[in-house]
This record gives sequence, C-alpha cells and structure tokens, in this order.
Amino acid sequence: MADLQTAAPLGEVSEFSADGGGAVLQVRPDFAMVQVFAKTGKAGELAQKLDIVSDPGKAGDTSSFAALPLSPGQWMLIADNANANTFGQEITEQISGLGYVSEQSDARICIRVSGPNARDLMARGCRLDLHPSVTAKGFCAQTQMAQVGVLIHQVSDEPAYDLYVYAGFARSFWHWLTETAAQF
Amino acid sequence: MHQIDCPWCGVRDEAEFQYQGDASVTRPDPDAGEDDFFSYVYVRDNPKGWHTEWWHHNGGCRQWVKVVRNTATHEIHATGLPRDGLPVPQARLKP
Repeated sequence: MADLQTAAPLGEVSEFSADGGGAVLQVRPDFAMVQVFAKTGKAGELAQKLDIVSDPGKAGDTSSFAALPLSPGQWMLIADNANANTFGQEITEQISGLGYVSEQSDARICIRVSGPNARDLMARGCRLDLHPSVTAKGFCAQTQMAQVGVLIHQVSDEPAYDLYVYAGFARSFWHWLTETAAQF
Repeated sequence: MHQIDCPWCGVRDEAEFQYQGDASVTRPDPDAGEDDFFSYVYVRDNPKGWHTEWWHHNGGCRQWVKVVRNTATHEIHATGLPRDGLPVPQARLKP
C-alpha cells in the first residue's frame, strides 16, 4: 500500500498579488472551523449559550471565534490560530444537550481577498450586491462564485473578504480567482 | 433569470436554486395501493399559469423553498417555507 502523505489543497501556494496592485489574495492557514447544528427547538438557547447571533447575513464575533449563520439553527464557527481538535471539543462541551458539532477545519480553504479593487474582483463572480450601502464588516453569506460554493465573510470595511471554499474545489477556484484578479 | 426570495437568504438568483417539482402533491396513505402511488410519483399536471413548486436553495442555505410561479409569464407571486400555505392567484393568467 502506498504511503499516505499530507498535502495542502493548494500545495505551497500562499499568496497572489495582481501586477497593478489592485488585488491581493492570501491563503489563510491555521484556522479551526466547526459547523454547529441546534437540536429542534434549541436554536435560541444554543445561540445564547455561545453568545452568537442568529440573523441571516450577520456574523457574530466572540472573543475566541466568529460565528457565521448558515441557515436556521446552523452556524459555522471559525477560530483563528486555534487547534482544530481542542476547538471542536470545547464547543461540543459548551453546547452539550443543545446541538451537534461537525469538525470542518480541513474541509475548506480560506482565501482573503483584499486591496483597492477587492470589491471589483468579487463583482466578477459574486451575484450578491456588495456595495458599501448594502454590506459592511461582519456581513456573511453562502453563495456561489464561478459555480463553486463559497462562504463569504466580510472582515473589513476597506473592504476585505474571507472566502471559504471546499478543499476539493480549491485549485479550480484559485485558478479562476487569480486569472480574474490579474487585470487589477 | 428568476429572482427568488428565499425566506432565509433574501432575494437570490435562480442559478443558486434547483427546481424540485410540484409542491401540491401529497404522499398517499401507505395502504393506498399501487395506482395511487404511481400517480404520486409519476403523474403531474402541466398547467399554463400559476403553479406551486419546490425550489432547493443548494447554492445558499440548502433549505427548501415553496414558490408560487406562473409557468407562462415566469412571474413569482409568493415564496415561503415548506410549511407555509401560499396564496395562489385565482386567474390562471394575468390579464
């Protein structure tokens, strides 16, 4: 049997800067991510327990993680520089009896889109209205870009966006994103 | 392209959704017999006008959305959760 080796979805790639200086892409390492599902009728109690919000499109920030509402009673919790194993265990213990936890840290990659033309780059593939009169820091949504499912989290008003993309689509999405960003 | 008002995500493009068929059929009683189940699985009306149907928001919140849509004009009259009883306009077609 072949020896199994660990490999990052994008290999050694970690950054892309457009020649014109308009857009910068960074692959963010070392985040822990778990999906949380509330038991029937327990969504409110669970949100209270974790001190997170349930409103669609609004990411809640606690001291240790961001909570992105995905659908009624479901959130993605994302912690920077956290250990994937211990983070999942901590959340599991905190919401014991109220919901379930699914560890997702290696299921997706995170690409941070920033730079003066970050919004223009997003507009090339994102169907959502990201004009500053509509979205601001803290906005989040699940949608599709270049036919790939993406979880978007706006992390700055500048703006900057974190894009969480399935690991299996990472290379395809990165190819599209860098080709599109090159014009900026 | 349709714009469908998802009860959770808000208005999104049709490309994020998958059409999932007639929302007006109900599953027969388990003892109803083969004919009733054949109708339930395979037989559908093909109305010109208002139609209550399922759309799955697989590119967003992955919830099922009930939609009242006009098959002739593509106008969307109402959207809601699966449990919602949505009003269907009386006129088959808009004047």
